[in-house]
Amino acid sequence: MRLARSAMLDALSGEYLLGTLRGLARKRFERALRDEPLVALRLKHWETLFAPRFAAAIAVQPAAGGWARLTRELGLARFSTPWHRRLGFWRNFALAATAALAIGTAFQVLRPMLEPAPVEIARLEGKTEVARVSARLSGDRQTLELRPARPVHAGPAQSYELWLIPAEGGAPLSLAVLGNLDARVPVAPAHSRRLIPGAKLAVSVEPAGGSPTGGPTGPVILAGQI
Amino acid sequence: MLDDQEIKKLLLRSALREEGSAEAFECLYRLCAPLMLGVAQRVVGRRELAEEVLHDAFTTIWRKADTFDPFATQPVAWMVAIVRNRAIDVQSSHDVARVDSYHDAADDSDGALDRLFDWSEPPGEAEDRRRATSWLRDCLSGLQAVERQALVLAYHHGMSHGDLAAHLRKPLGTVKTWVRRGLKNLRQCIDSCMDGAR
Repeated sequence: MRLARSAMLDALSGEYLLGTLRGLARKRFERALRDEPLVALRLKHWETLFAPRFAAAIAVQPAAGGWARLTRELGLARFSTPWHRRLGFWRNFALAATAALAIGTAFQVLRPMLEPAPVEIARLEGKTEVARVSARLSGDRQTLELRPARPVHAGPAQSYELWLIPAEGGAPLSLAVLGNLDARVPVAPAHSRRLIPGAKLAVSVEPAGGSPTGGPTGPVILAGQI
Repeated sequence: MLDDQEIKKLLLRSALREEGSAEAFECLYRLCAPLMLGVAQRVVGRRELAEEVLHDAFTTIWRKADTFDPFATQPVAWMVAIVRNRAIDVQSSHDVARVDSYHDAADDSDGALDRLFDWSEPPGEAEDRRRATSWLRDCLSGLQAVERQALVLAYHHGMSHGDLAAHLRKPLGTVKTWVRRGLKNLRQCIDSCMDGAR
């Protein structure tokens, strides 16, 4: 019990806390701190007096691997909650699931808005009494939409067939066989590329099921320039 | 600002050594490591040494969490003391060449006190804590400029007497006197504030 009785105890405690007590004197003080309760008490008193908080501005983000190293060296895995019992896990899971649902729903709702509106690329007209048909291509150029001015249905033994007559010439390409002219037609990329100004769209009347030859065989009732 | 109540809970939870202690300790690390690394770096100067100090300090915090007394000690101050002590040991043993980069601290004004330390009132802090903080602030301000500067440099930058003498370009004996007198006057000032409050 030597340091506890020292007249210097107060000064030494202060300097220890401040950090100016160094070397052997510091070691001696730390030994006394362990062995002499009065020394520890005196330091505690100083700690209550002198405990300024460091400004948050001095903070520095630690290196990325720091936490992993501590986990490894201290064997912290022993004291962690199994993942399925973590409240946080289920809470996060619920949040994530809700968020995914919300995003999914929003996507469904927004999709028509996000995608560029279909653009009318041709108006198909005929000499006969058949209604005029507007042909519109979707923003992604994968769907051709036919909108007749009034409903046009093929007879029981007939089908309509939609043709693309390429701008560069050549045989008409069959785009679809239809029962009526109010239709959405998927367009293969090879055909989509040819839906350009100069090309033509046409509708012929074919036997049920479409042209037996691969080219138009019946009368062309509607046609329009792109 | 770090929330003492939250830190206290995390420390106690870490000390229990039960399921969930690792998560509490991780949370403690995420919250406090940046400030602690900042403190370490002020003292040892070099980044890689400071990271080592941080690692050692958190190892000590984990090992000694059960000795933390929530009624007697402010948790952040407890942790800062651990990191500072480790940093001072490392600095002494590595003979760290001090780079003279203390322009902020060399400026001795109340502004420096307010820039280096956070005197604001944390939410939910006990009345006596709040008073102790304001007494410290006032008593530091009331010290002679040279004394205040010596204390602030020593505490904030972990300067030894020798560092202070070199930095302030004064004889070692003079600097030691400033430190000792500064601490004594600070102590007396705070004591009289306490007496006045009774």
